[in-house]
Amino acid sequence: MSGHPEPEALEAAAGGQGAPELEAHAAQCAQCARELAWLRAERALLARRPAPRVDHLWPGVQARLGKSSALASGAARDRLRRPHWQWRVAVAGAAAAALAAMLLIAIRARPLGPAAAPPRVAQREAEYRPDPRALAALDRAEADYRDAAKVLEAEYDRLRPRLDPGLARRWDETLTRARAQLGEASAVAAEDVNARMQVLDGYAGYLRSLRDVVQHSEEANQ
Amino acid sequence: MAVARGETHPDEELLSRARAGDGEAFRVIFDREAPGVRRFLGDLFRDDAAADEGTQETFVRAHQRLDTVSGAQKLQGWLMGIARLVFLEHLRRKRRDGPQLAEEPVQIDPAPTPEALLLEGEAGEVLDLALHDLSEDRRAALLMRLDHGLGYTEIAEAMGWSLQKVKNEIHRARLQLRERLSSYLAGAA
Repeated sequence: MSGHPEPEALEAAAGGQGAPELEAHAAQCAQCARELAWLRAERALLARRPAPRVDHLWPGVQARLGKSSALASGAARDRLRRPHWQWRVAVAGAAAAALAAMLLIAIRARPLGPAAAPPRVAQREAEYRPDPRALAALDRAEADYRDAAKVLEAEYDRLRPRLDPGLARRWDETLTRARAQLGEASAVAAEDVNARMQVLDGYAGYLRSLRDVVQHSEEANQ
Repeated sequence: MAVARGETHPDEELLSRARAGDGEAFRVIFDREAPGVRRFLGDLFRDDAAADEGTQETFVRAHQRLDTVSGAQKLQGWLMGIARLVFLEHLRRKRRDGPQLAEEPVQIDPAPTPEALLLEGEAGEVLDLALHDLSEDRRAALLMRLDHGLGYTEIAEAMGWSLQKVKNEIHRARLQLRERLSSYLAGAA
């Protein structure tokens, strides 16, 4: 190599893309060796800095563009990158969550009774009869969550054999524990609408855990 | 590398979909590019709230002007260019001028070695301070090159400068940065 290399060639070398003759030149030339050392130090220093989080900025962009129907919601955007199972879970989970939210609004909006003197607690409890429509809606929401969970559980079963056995065992324990808690809460709730709403919350949490486990399993299998 | 006829380049497809009004595609572009833009603006503003706001403003403007970016390969530089304008407008509003800096290259004390820099625990903070000592334009150009890996031509487009000016400014910025870092090392030794 005659003369010193171009600055861009040294930059490429600092990034690990240097030609052998350049490296050979730097080994003999103190000036270029020092320049290379500086370039590498700059890169390393900048690379140490953590990547900033930006998730919280998207809603502001979306709001300012004022096209929430055209700009992607989280679920819609994920269609570009998520695997097939997430579609099905998203549909079932969203349906259940929407139903649960509507139910909650309906329950809260319903007047407790005539504006006259409030009945005694014992009397109110004796008169308490859950609205059959509310119970039916709760049944549907719970069924939707169960469907979503089945999709995820099947996906996890498919991925599990290729996972590290220790990791799989820990996840199994976590999911088994969650399912047991859910079953107990569901049995206790019976026809208590508020308790059953809490069960739905429990299902939502279980789905989130399952989703995370499946995502991690996919990453681990790649 | 040119994309073969009939072959769809994923980034080009994404950009094309975003241009056609596909909000999902724009969101994916946001997810990919916003961390770099936010980091770039964080280095320019040195104020988290302002950098957050500037990042949002950058993407709002980008969405409105997607037709003007000439291709997916240019997207990052194009976004950096918008981000820099957002920053400059903010500065103008604040009527706050950057420090006056010497135009001539600075001689570096040859004693400390760059390798020693990496061993210093406070080097990151010193780097921040050293970057802050650069004028806004010089800092932006240097970061586009060093931190975001843009080519000199892309930087020239983003900054509205000639290629030669980009090279000169980045060279001077580097010398200033190293002078500051060297001073730190000399003090730390």
